[in-house]
Amino acid sequence: MEKTALMIDDLLDLVEKPARYMGGEMNAVIKDPAGVDFRYVFAFPDTYEVGMSHLGMRILYDLINRMDGVCCERVFSPWTDMADLLRSRGVPLFSLETRTPVGDFDMLGITLQYEMSYSNILELLDLSGIPLHAQERTWADPVVVAGGPCAFNPEPLHCFIDAFSIGDGEENTPEIIRVVRESKREGISREECLRRLARLHGVYVPSLYEARYHEDGTLASFEPRFPDVPRRVVKNLVLDLDRAVYPESLIVPFTEIVHDRVNVEVLRGCTRGCRFCQAGMLYRPVRERSMARILELTEKLLDSTGYEEVTLSSLSTGDYSCLPQLAHELMERYSQRRVSLSLPSLRLDSELKKTLEETQRVRKTSLTYAMEAGTQRLRDVINKGITEEDLMSSVEDAFLNGWSSIKLYFMFGLPTETREDLDGIAQLAAKVVRKYFEVPKAQRARGLRVNCSASCFVPKPFTPFQWEPQDTLEQFRQKQDYLCRIMRIKGVEFNWHTPEVSFLEACFARGDRRLADVLERAWRKGCRFDGWSDCFKFDSWMEAFGECGLDPEFYACRRRERGELFPWSFIDAGVTEDYLWREHQRAEAAQVTPDCRRGCQGCGLKRFEGACADR
Amino acid sequence: MRMWCEFEKTATVRHLGLLDLQRTMQRALRRSALPVAYSNGFNPHMLMSFASALSSGIPGDAEIMEVRLSAPVDAQEALCALRQVLPPSLPVRRIRLVEDSFPKAASLMKAARYELRLESPDAPQIARAVGDFCRCDVVEALKKSKSREERVNIRPLVRALTVERLEDGLVILQAVVSFSESASLRPDLLCRTLLELSGVQAERVRIFRRELLTEKDGQLVPLFEVVP
Repeated sequence: MEKTALMIDDLLDLVEKPARYMGGEMNAVIKDPAGVDFRYVFAFPDTYEVGMSHLGMRILYDLINRMDGVCCERVFSPWTDMADLLRSRGVPLFSLETRTPVGDFDMLGITLQYEMSYSNILELLDLSGIPLHAQERTWADPVVVAGGPCAFNPEPLHCFIDAFSIGDGEENTPEIIRVVRESKREGISREECLRRLARLHGVYVPSLYEARYHEDGTLASFEPRFPDVPRRVVKNLVLDLDRAVYPESLIVPFTEIVHDRVNVEVLRGCTRGCRFCQAGMLYRPVRERSMARILELTEKLLDSTGYEEVTLSSLSTGDYSCLPQLAHELMERYSQRRVSLSLPSLRLDSELKKTLEETQRVRKTSLTYAMEAGTQRLRDVINKGITEEDLMSSVEDAFLNGWSSIKLYFMFGLPTETREDLDGIAQLAAKVVRKYFEVPKAQRARGLRVNCSASCFVPKPFTPFQWEPQDTLEQFRQKQDYLCRIMRIKGVEFNWHTPEVSFLEACFARGDRRLADVLERAWRKGCRFDGWSDCFKFDSWMEAFGECGLDPEFYACRRRERGELFPWSFIDAGVTEDYLWREHQRAEAAQVTPDCRRGCQGCGLKRFEGACADR
Repeated sequence: MRMWCEFEKTATVRHLGLLDLQRTMQRALRRSALPVAYSNGFNPHMLMSFASALSSGIPGDAEIMEVRLSAPVDAQEALCALRQVLPPSLPVRRIRLVEDSFPKAASLMKAARYELRLESPDAPQIARAVGDFCRCDVVEALKKSKSREERVNIRPLVRALTVERLEDGLVILQAVVSFSESASLRPDLLCRTLLELSGVQAERVRIFRRELLTEKDGQLVPLFEVVP
């Protein structure tokens, strides 16, 4: 064994969960180096178990590996024990497939799923020996590209990333690879290569833009530095999911991961228009995959993985137009093969009763209801079109059909929230418990579990609440204490999230370029895995803000004016600012907006030809 | 009918624990579409097991998985099918079919042969400790479990221990260790005990399981060989 390989092998003896770094899984793609002239490494800035559960990575891994002469390997954030060992022994971070140092790849693609993984990105770059700052990199370093939902406000990462890919990654990832591959072949400068990338649709190269600020800290102007650099970056859009590439085999991890099952994306986007939901706005319009294609993919994926469970995934699987037929067909085909079907993000108001009855032929998993708010008034404010009756009739069905485990999700700190809305959370949970005991003992399954969780609301860019202040930490703590008191209900388990993490998430979600310094300082103070409560160092973050002379409340808790230029305003995410403001006004008046499939609400997607099907 | 599959747990995946390996094999069996039998009951599970659990961290050259079948298969076809569904890190070597009446692989396990590679500048001292070890009737080792520590005599569990190679900074040992339900000896404990006896430290210890053994006519023979 060569020296580095031997050093890596030694490290695996010293860390917890060595399987995270092992590689060698079924269906991992290892290409013959002789046939490869461009190497891409896909980085997920969290643990193996979390990253391997991510559908986007699976799609891009497959898509890139289908390209001739190009290989895609994987790397995940090493857990702190491994990171410390790599650093102290001088072993560079390596890919799972071939244990190649990450810094030796031509391109490093990073997915941005969550603001609280940003410190892991710096850690990952540093452990790979790649200069943190894009401007210090040379052709000896990979071109660092980032995409995913958080790329819709890329500014807090502006100096660490060479180029961002905005929107659906399937569309322009091959294009980005082509441009970098050709640039390297032609021997042009890295700067010139980035200029070429900036001209691609949906690509943002932050070093080619300049931001200026007003004295009050708000953004004054945001301009390209060169005339050939586009003023606005328009998101990428996959129009036809049936023709979009989708993996037909998946890597089957040796160790258990968070979503350890076949995952078939049935649709992308959501038309419900929940006002807090960034994904619902970013992934517009709704695009469905045909039932025939879903069945074909399911068959191939089950055959190639041996998984015993299938998930139909999307933002709102209950909205899939032929869900009952699809679920029925899947049950018909696979119950004999001991494959169970799970339906996440279950919508209450969908016609699912029959489907549910069929699913339980195989296995009963817990049912999840995202109620989001405790009263009808507040649900109207956030446009969550679910009523108490919907919930009650659905849980009654569930209890009658043998379910006994229910999860309820809520948020607190929503705009216009009052004490009454918090009380409503406890009342709803209590009503679910009562419903269970109303079902005759002989008929209901034993062991009622109502798992109720409340998270702190985080206003996000490109939502109608992008102008709204987040509650202050003090307000969150008071509300949380109150909730803990009123949620002491028999049969109900209450979980909450620490408000400090949500506060920081809010800063970065709507942050500007200046937060890059805060991020770097916090990372230098040892911040990493901020989304993991045992690693989160809130005080270090606050110190970092202080040292940079920035006030976190300016980002999280400030009410923004209609005319304010946002750091993300240069991105065309599909939904227009006019639409978002209209929705903002309707929210204040607690007016609901119907699902746009029942009439166009003019969100802006019609501007994209062929994007929005009239139904 | 049952199927005995001899496979290698390669060094790449030596950190697989028993549960991970079991899950991996079960998924591979599902991919293979071989007629694997399931248990009855509320949560049916595949009727498969290993001749002997192999600790995380140790690769195995010739591990045995035993699978109960619900319909007869052809051994050669089953071998092809399994090879296609396992990653290169877990190659299947051979398959034999046995009747239901044949004893279970796990019940036939009597011993295992390990190769112990200890890297140390004081390798000669470790080699000398092997001689001392073999001459003793009682060698106490500190056995740690989750709840307690105790000193046990491990000497009777070591059926053979020899120095295969001694070179600069490295000693390679061969150990045949008894296996029974009442008493078994982990090879890493044997290594620790030898280091304790020699009074030196090793920079790196690598353990390989080379063979699973059973008894036939009073002799230790490879487990796979006793299949009719």
